[in-house]
Amino acid sequence: MDLLEKAVDRVLSGDRSAFQQIVDATSQKLVRLGARIMGNQADAEDVVQEAYVKAYRALTAGEFDRRSSTTTWLYRIVVNGAIDAKRSRKRRAEASDEQVDPGWDGAAFAEARLALSELDDWLQALPAEQRAALVLQSMEGLNNSEIAQVMGVSEGAVEQRLVRARAALRQKREQS
Amino acid sequence: MIEQDDIEQRLARLSGATDALRPSAGFSARVMLAIEREAAPSFLESTWFSARRLLPVAAIAAAMAVVWAVQVDSSVDDELAASYVSAELE
Repeated sequence: MDLLEKAVDRVLSGDRSAFQQIVDATSQKLVRLGARIMGNQADAEDVVQEAYVKAYRALTAGEFDRRSSTTTWLYRIVVNGAIDAKRSRKRRAEASDEQVDPGWDGAAFAEARLALSELDDWLQALPAEQRAALVLQSMEGLNNSEIAQVMGVSEGAVEQRLVRARAALRQKREQS
Repeated sequence: MIEQDDIEQRLARLSGATDALRPSAGFSARVMLAIEREAAPSFLESTWFSARRLLPVAAIAAAMAVVWAVQVDSSVDDELAASYVSAELE
């Protein structure tokens, strides 16, 4: 059993402080996933923070049945939160002076932010579900079965979303 | 096909370029603060839980008060009855 599953066990047995380990082990992946779907880091952090609170609530209420791995379960909460937020929320202004963790390479981070902006412009016209499916497949490296598990839909529905997303991107390219 | 490759190449490039994204400084602390707020019971909840713990003690105290009141009442009645009897005898 890996560290993440052990931390989940500890939270389930009443050790709330173990949730910090879950956050430390997953926040980088989840914020990156959220940013790729939302198109900016500030909104992604809001979504991921809400996702952690939901996950904590579910864990302490005994609602996590462990039918999927903890990572898949957290991916699902973040993807659902990001899709809902994308549908309802207006884009939050990106804070230009946002502090980068001192341990990270500032230049690489700045380049990543530029690339994120390019990604957002490119995928902006896609419906949130199609964008999420495309990000999960082409950027997070999940296969269709895994995407179906994360998004809570059939593999056929995933395939349809991916085909439509690529068709929309092709059409956009032809128009420009 | 070329267009499709173009889409895949661009996705791959942007995937690599966004790999360096990280949570901003203090993100983990903000999350744990939100969790602590979630875990801490509200004033009403904590008052209710404290009061609930005292409920059995309060119930026993109330029962003892009723027993004591009945006993006092009956001893007063006995004393009054005794005083009427002695008054009549006089």
